[in-house]
Amino acid sequence: MTAGTAPAPTTSAAGRAPEPGAAGRVVTALAVRSVRRGAVLVTGVAAGMPALVAVQHRQLDQELAGASLAALAENPAIRTLFGPPVALDDPGGFTVWRTGTAIAVLVGVWAALAATRVTRGEEEAGRWDLLLAGRLRLPAVLLRHLAVLLGAAALVGAGTAAGLLLAGTATTGAVLFGALIGGTGMVGAALGALAAQLLAERRAAAGLAVGVLLAGLLTRMVADGVPALGWLHWLSPFGLLGRSAPFAADRVLPLVVLAGTVAVLVAAAATVATRRDVGSGPWRRPGAVAPGTGELRSLPALAARHTGRPVVGWGAAVVAYFLLIGLLATTMTDFLTENPRFAELAAQAGFAELGTVRGYVASLFTVLAVPVGAFVASRVAATAADEVAGRLTLLYSLPVRRVRWLATELTGVATGAVLLAGAAGLATWLGATWVGADLSAGAALAGVLNVLPIAAVCLGAAVAALAWAPAAVLPLGVLPAAGGYLLLVLADTLAWPGWVRGLSPFAHVAAVPAEPVDVPGLVGLLVVAAALTAGGLAGYRRRDLRG
Amino acid sequence: MPVPAPAVPALRAEHLSKRFARTVAVDDLSLSVSPGEVFGFLGPNGAGKSTTIRMVLGLLRPSGGHVEVFGVPAHDVGRAHRHLAYVPADVALWPALTGRECLDLLAGVGPGTDLDYRAELVERFALDPDRRSRTYSTGNRQKVALVAAFATRAPLLVLDEPTSGLDPLMEREFRRCVTEAAERGQTVFLSSHQLAEVEAVCARVGILRQGRLVEVAGLRELRRLRRSEISVTLAHPVAAGVGLAGVDGVADLQWRSPVELTMTLAGPPAPVLRALAGLDVVALDVREPSLEELFLDFYGDHLSSREELRA
Repeated sequence: MTAGTAPAPTTSAAGRAPEPGAAGRVVTALAVRSVRRGAVLVTGVAAGMPALVAVQHRQLDQELAGASLAALAENPAIRTLFGPPVALDDPGGFTVWRTGTAIAVLVGVWAALAATRVTRGEEEAGRWDLLLAGRLRLPAVLLRHLAVLLGAAALVGAGTAAGLLLAGTATTGAVLFGALIGGTGMVGAALGALAAQLLAERRAAAGLAVGVLLAGLLTRMVADGVPALGWLHWLSPFGLLGRSAPFAADRVLPLVVLAGTVAVLVAAAATVATRRDVGSGPWRRPGAVAPGTGELRSLPALAARHTGRPVVGWGAAVVAYFLLIGLLATTMTDFLTENPRFAELAAQAGFAELGTVRGYVASLFTVLAVPVGAFVASRVAATAADEVAGRLTLLYSLPVRRVRWLATELTGVATGAVLLAGAAGLATWLGATWVGADLSAGAALAGVLNVLPIAAVCLGAAVAALAWAPAAVLPLGVLPAAGGYLLLVLADTLAWPGWVRGLSPFAHVAAVPAEPVDVPGLVGLLVVAAALTAGGLAGYRRRDLRG
Repeated sequence: MPVPAPAVPALRAEHLSKRFARTVAVDDLSLSVSPGEVFGFLGPNGAGKSTTIRMVLGLLRPSGGHVEVFGVPAHDVGRAHRHLAYVPADVALWPALTGRECLDLLAGVGPGTDLDYRAELVERFALDPDRRSRTYSTGNRQKVALVAAFATRAPLLVLDEPTSGLDPLMEREFRRCVTEAAERGQTVFLSSHQLAEVEAVCARVGILRQGRLVEVAGLRELRRLRRSEISVTLAHPVAAGVGLAGVDGVADLQWRSPVELTMTLAGPPAPVLRALAGLDVVALDVREPSLEELFLDFYGDHLSSREELRA
C-alpha cells in the first residue's frame, strides 16, 4: 500500500479508475468458474436420485412390496447405514430414509473437497499470489470463495427440494429435506475452508475436513444404535437430518442448529485467515528436516512413500467405522431377536441370515468396497495429478519406462488396498469380540477380502481412465464401487430387471461370511479388472505425457 | 555404461514434426549434434523448443520423423536414457520430499552419479538439501535438477532453459559447470532464449522459429549476426556520402543533422573506424543491441531471406 505522500490514482492518471468492488466481482467470478462444473453435477445427482426413488415408490405395488420393504428397513445393517426408518409408507419419507444419508454424505464431502481445492489448492499452487497482489486481502478473497461455495451448496439443496416437489411429495417435507441437504453441503464447505486456513497443504486440509465429516457420520450411527447416546445427533449434520425427520415430524429446530454451525465455522475460518501469512498456516509442518532421515534410492521406496501416508489416513477412518460396526453388532441383532415378526418377514423375503451377526457384518463388509475403491481411484488420480504438475518429467527422463513406474505405483496402491481391507476386518472382529458377538477373526477376514475384487475393478477403471481420459481418473475410478453400490440398492429396492442389477459389480459378490464365496463371480470381476488394467497400461505407454 | 562409437551423433533428429490438434508445434526438424559438442538451441517463447526436447526424451510421440540419442530411438527410454540427463525449464518436485531425497532418488534410478562431485556441486550452488521441496523457490528447485544432472556421467546433458530462475552468481556457476562438462567430453544440448548465455558457452547454435529450424550456425557466424548501433557526432558538416555507405557491414546509414549520423554495423568495426579516421569526430558511441532488438531483427523481416539461404 502506498503511503500518504503518493497521490492516489485519479481518473485522468489511470485512464479510467477501477470501480469500487470490481476486483471483488472478478474474484467471485473466478470462484464461480472453479466450482460450477462440480456444482451442476452434484445438483443433478442430489435432485435426480431422490426424485427417481420417490416416483418409483409410487409405482410399487404397496401390498407386495410392503413386507419385503419392512424386512429390509429393519435389517440392522441397513439401519446402521441409512438410519431408522420413519414414514416408509409416504413416498417422501421413504426417499429420505433410503437416499438421505447417502446424498448428505455425497454433498458434504464434495463441498469440503471443493472448498479445500479452490482455496488452499490454489494458494499452494501459487496462483493466489497473483490474486493477492491486487487490491483484495486474504480474508476478502477467502470469504468471496466461501460465499460462492455456500451458494453452490444452497443450489444443490434447492435442486433436491425441486426434484421432490416435481415428483409430487409433500411441500413442507421436500423444502425441509432440501434445506437440510443444502445445509450439510454448507457445513462441508465451511469445514473445508477452515481446515484450509489451519493447514498449509491442500491434501492435509482435505483429509481433515472429510475426516471430521465422517466422524459426524459415525456419531450419528452411535446415536442411532445406543439409545442413551441419542443426544449425539445434535453434534452431527447427519444426526440433525434424522432428528428433523422430513415428511414425518418436520422439525425445524435441527435446521436452525445446522445454520448456526455454518455461521460459527465461517467466522472461525475468517478469523484464522486474518491472522496468518499467505502460503502458511498455524498448523504448518516445518520445512527443514534433520539430515539423513530415511533413504530414498529406488522406485519402490518412492511408491511406498507416496502410498504410506494416505493408507494411514484412510486406514484410521476405515478402522474407526468398522470398530463401531463390530461394537454395534449385538445392539442391532438384539433388536431383531426382540422383534421376531421382522425376522420372520426378513426370512420370507430371502434374507434369512440378516438377523445374525454374520449376516449383519457381511452386508457392511460389502460397503467396504466403496471406501477401498475410492482410495484406489484417488491414488491413481494422484499419479495423473503428478503428471500434470510436471513431477513425473524428471522421473521419466531417467532410464525408467512408463509402464515400470506405473506398475510400481499400482503395486503400492494394491498393497494399500489389501491393508485397508485387512484393517477393517480386524477392527470389526475386535469390536464384535469386545461385545461378545459370535464372529471369528477368520470369518471377518474372509468377508473383507471377498470385496477386494470390486476394488480391483476400480483400479482397472482408473488405469484405463489414466490412459484415455486422464482428466477424469477419480470419477471413473470410483464409478464401479460408488455407482455400482447405488445401482444395486436401487435395483433391489425398486425391483429393476436382473440385467440392470447385473451391471453392478456388487451383484457378483456373495454376502461373506453369511454365505459361501461366489467363486465364478469373483473370477469374473478379476478378469474384468485385469483386462482394464492391461489395456490402460498399454494406452499409457503410448500416449503423450501431459504437463 | 556402454561407450558409444564416436561416429554416432549424440543427438540426431530427422524430419521430426509434432502436431497438436490444430497447431504444428515442430515442423520437419532435422538436426545432428556431435559427441562432445556444446549446442545452443535458440528461439522465442512458443517456438517449439520444449516440444522438441520432450520428443527427444520420449515424453511426446513425434507425429512424423524420428529422433535418436546415441543411435538409440528416443521412444526406447529404458536404453536411450542411460545416455542422458535432463533439466526441465520448470522443475516440479514432490513437495513432501527433501532436496536430498530427490537427489538420492535421481542418483539411485539414474544413469550413474559421481557422488563426490555432487557434494561439491551442492556447495557451489549453495543449495540447502535438507528442506522439503515444498519450501523451495523456483531457483532452488532448478538447482536440485542442475546438481542432479551435472553430477551424472551421462554423455548427453539436455538442458531446457535451465537458468531462468537463477541469480547472476548462480548463472556464472552454471556456465562453469557447462565448461567442465564439455572438458569431460560430455555433450550439452542447451535450450535458451538468453543469447548472452548461449554465446558464452556454446560452439554451435540452432535457431527455431514457429516450429521450424531456420538456422544452424557456428558461434562465429552468430557473432556476425549481431548488429551494433553506432552514433557519430562531427565537429563540422561534411559533404554527404563520405564513403561510409560502402563500408563492409554498415547498414541503415542516417543523417540526423548535418553533424550527426547513425548506422548499424555487423561484423568487425575496423573498416568503419578507418573510414571515420578521416573525419573530425567529436563523439562516438557504439551500442550493442539488446536481446529484444536482436530477436525482433532476426525473427522479424529477415526471416524469409534466411529461409532462402538455408534452402
